[in-house]
Amino acid sequence: MGIYDFTVKTSKGAEKNLGDYKGKVLLIVNTASKCGFTPQFEGLQKLYDAYKDRGLEILGFPCNQFAEQEPGTGEEAQSFCKLNYGVKFQIFEKGDVRGETAQPLFKYLTAQKKFEGFDPNHPIAAKLEAALKANFPEYLEGDGIKWNFTKFLVDREGNVVKRFEPTTDPADIAKDIEALL
Amino acid sequence: MVKVYTIQSCPWCEKVKKYLASRGVNFTAFDVEKDAAARYACIKLTGMDGAVPVVTADDKTYVLDFDKEQIDKLLGI
Repeated sequence: MGIYDFTVKTSKGAEKNLGDYKGKVLLIVNTASKCGFTPQFEGLQKLYDAYKDRGLEILGFPCNQFAEQEPGTGEEAQSFCKLNYGVKFQIFEKGDVRGETAQPLFKYLTAQKKFEGFDPNHPIAAKLEAALKANFPEYLEGDGIKWNFTKFLVDREGNVVKRFEPTTDPADIAKDIEALL
Repeated sequence: MVKVYTIQSCPWCEKVKKYLASRGVNFTAFDVEKDAAARYACIKLTGMDGAVPVVTADDKTYVLDFDKEQIDKLLGI
């Protein structure tokens, strides 16, 4: 079973076989559906603008599993949601990404690339870890998705080459993308 | 009329609606993703596109956020 064997649904309900992306470099991301760690949407869009002509596709999978809690996004006071009208990359149907109800694609991705910890130097790392310990200690166990905006980089042959936690900003993935293009 | 501008899957929108209901406020909710006129009215009011929940009673002053204190002040409850 490889990445190209998965079929997913677009946000408009159409079936999409990931085999259609053969030969592309992919960045697969579980996104906040509307609220949550949203500043990364902007960073992802910048990556897409910069590299789409060279063969990058970004695939966003909205998920509500982390939506209501907002630990340390840098906008702790925020208690509103903002639609992301500026996003041009492909967004798929909303679904679970962790636990037993996780979509098969995310079970596959997290089995391919394990959780190796948050980047402690990122400004949200300590707050995110503390909030998880307090509210969802089980999320910290195992290799499942920890929070919105976990990113998986896939090369042109379909190999999952790297996993980036929410504590890696999209801009810091640029060099890894360039290496694969 | 008290209006609440919302979108789906927005926990803060749900909290605002529940809070208003708990305080006995009659309001009408508008989904700015589905209702283009409401989206336009909400942008005109706040200057922001798609930021919700927004509560207003007079289409001039508003509260963006689930902020009970500000909502109470706005509606005089």
